Amino acid sequence: MKFGDLFQLSLENLWRTKLRSALTTLGVVIGIGVLVSMVSFGTGVQKNVTQGFLDNDLFTRLEVIPAKINLDDVMSGNIGDIEIPDEDTPPLDDEVVEKIRALPGVEVAFPEIRFPVRLKLGEREARTHLRAMPASMGAFKPFSEIAYGRFFESDGEGSIILSQKLLRNLKINLSDDDAPPPPTGWEPDEEMASLPSDSLIGREVEIFTSVLDQKGLARAFMMGVPPSPSRMPLREETVTLTVVGIQTTPGSFVSDRLQSGVLVPTETANGIPRLGFTSIWEVLGRDADAGGYPSLYVRVGAIQDLEPVREAIEEMGFGVIAIGDQLEEFKEDFLIMDALLGAVGIVALIVASLGIINTMVTSILERTREIGIMKAIGGSETDIRLIFFVEAATVGVLGGIFGLALGWGVTRLANVIANSYIRPAGVAPVDFFYVPVWLILGALAFAVLVSLLAGVYPAMRAARVDPVKALRHD
Amino acid sequence: MTPILRTIDLEKTYHKGSIDIPVLRGVTLDVNEGEFVTVAGRSGSGKSTLLNLIGGLDTATAGRIVVRGADLSEMDRRDLALHRRHTVGMIFQSFNLIASRTALENVTLALAFGEHPRSDRKSRAAEILSRVGLADRIDHTPGELSGGEAQRVAIARALANSPDILLADEPTGNLDSRTSEEIAALLRSLNDEERVTVIMVTHDEAMADAVSDRVLRLLDGRFVEEQTGGGAP
Repeated sequence: MKFGDLFQLSLENLWRTKLRSALTTLGVVIGIGVLVSMVSFGTGVQKNVTQGFLDNDLFTRLEVIPAKINLDDVMSGNIGDIEIPDEDTPPLDDEVVEKIRALPGVEVAFPEIRFPVRLKLGEREARTHLRAMPASMGAFKPFSEIAYGRFFESDGEGSIILSQKLLRNLKINLSDDDAPPPPTGWEPDEEMASLPSDSLIGREVEIFTSVLDQKGLARAFMMGVPPSPSRMPLREETVTLTVVGIQTTPGSFVSDRLQSGVLVPTETANGIPRLGFTSIWEVLGRDADAGGYPSLYVRVGAIQDLEPVREAIEEMGFGVIAIGDQLEEFKEDFLIMDALLGAVGIVALIVASLGIINTMVTSILERTREIGIMKAIGGSETDIRLIFFVEAATVGVLGGIFGLALGWGVTRLANVIANSYIRPAGVAPVDFFYVPVWLILGALAFAVLVSLLAGVYPAMRAARVDPVKALRHD
Repeated sequence: MTPILRTIDLEKTYHKGSIDIPVLRGVTLDVNEGEFVTVAGRSGSGKSTLLNLIGGLDTATAGRIVVRGADLSEMDRRDLALHRRHTVGMIFQSFNLIASRTALENVTLALAFGEHPRSDRKSRAAEILSRVGLADRIDHTPGELSGGEAQRVAIARALANSPDILLADEPTGNLDSRTSEEIAALLRSLNDEERVTVIMVTHDEAMADAVSDRVLRLLDGRFVEEQTGGGAP
């Protein structure tokens, strides 16, 4: 029999027992629906995390530190093995920055300068973190997307970029229509001001930094009294800067400290007097007076440049930390998560396949005589086998298609519900589910495969029906 | 003249547990092309088994069946299916039509197995159905047909792929005497006009005598008597 005829015959047979065929197919629909929604949740999470990495340049970003450290040792608390830089370790100075900038693949390299400051905007005051940022970073995310105002135009300008989080700390709410809504628990009070962003841009802010009071320190030592924490010999310096921009989307992988921080052009930041020892690298490395930076920020043009650049820098004798390294581990974790989520769907499909086997075997018992007739009028075993096989596959294909639709519907609904719980917190809607093409094709193929496997035994059994017994007139 | 069908020392033994039940004990038969041969015998004489063996639905324990020079005992299951499809057409006492399909669809199914071109299956089926006298009943399902009409559909289906031999297993067993005569007459006319060889099995000796060229009597798995039938030219 020609395949077209077999196919038609199979469809007719399924149609004859509509209810049973529909219920059997429903089993596959549910199985595929569960599989698709489960796996699409896994891939959705993976996509969101990976996108977060991309948005925050985590794949193309390196941090260069004076010492080679095994990050795993640090993570596991095994600090004893950390190699303390000695005299042989070259300092991270401007010469090194130039050398790194010259490496193929490197787009930007600059020293990381961060220190705590007190900031005053009019009468409002808050503690925050200042980070030096070269104007050249304006070409890249997230600095290329300053919500209000602009990024720096030169490294020496006396400007500052504020973050929305800092504004919140200053009790200022952006009244712009497109500004993110305030978080839950944000209660307007007398102190809070609601201001449009353009009323802030162009305003001057005062930056206060603490510096060591050499005279006070000397005096304290001369009196034989070590300085107590409450009476540190410090004094404050003030610098006035102009607000040029406001950032609203700090990204998901930035620490809270940085999210609420401010940005200042590199040279301007370097000119601000400040205390040393603001980071662990400054303690481990040499201080700025010796001509070395605590760490360098390096950005490569593409993900594949990361490894060669890292090797080149390590050859110079420096340590490199790339958060992108974690991606491989993340990927393994995602694989495990996908497998677990997929397992639930697979169990549902196994149950569905038992349903198919059950339906087909019942159908063979009912159609034994019909099988005998088909053999008597010239149906070969191959024909009979294919008829049952195609019936099973049809159940699989239909189950797969409607299962995809069900899975898609379920994920859309779940997404709406999940987002309605999250949105009040001021977070933009997130798509928790992602249905990639491979999942669509894979789920369909899997549905057909499972159905065909379920059809193997019934089809073999149907093909082996003895026509003489089947046709025995009783 | 070389016979179209030849069985040589055909034996068939069924096994029920450890007990052997011999059904055919050395049946030798030659049937010439265009002949109408009837095998008569009581129930359990082995006549249906003989027909199933010739039809390739079952395989012999010993002996040979040669149809148009081809030995069925040397055929694999695929070849036997082709034998059933093209060389023989079978009709049964209980008609064995597919209940969910109309008369026309029962015939077109056989044509589909015969890989007849899809485009003229319907016209071919309608043509055969009108040949057996059912032109106005082709869209009825077996449940809506009388016994005689159902058997006519079965005959049309058996003839669909233009077989050399029509094998009729008690074709009138479920029919009243008047309808039986009509069916027997139809088989005879097909044999006369279409030149299809007919081998019929029946216990109705009077009818056998009336339509057959030759009647063979089977008893306990052996031919015991042969006589020329009333249908002989």
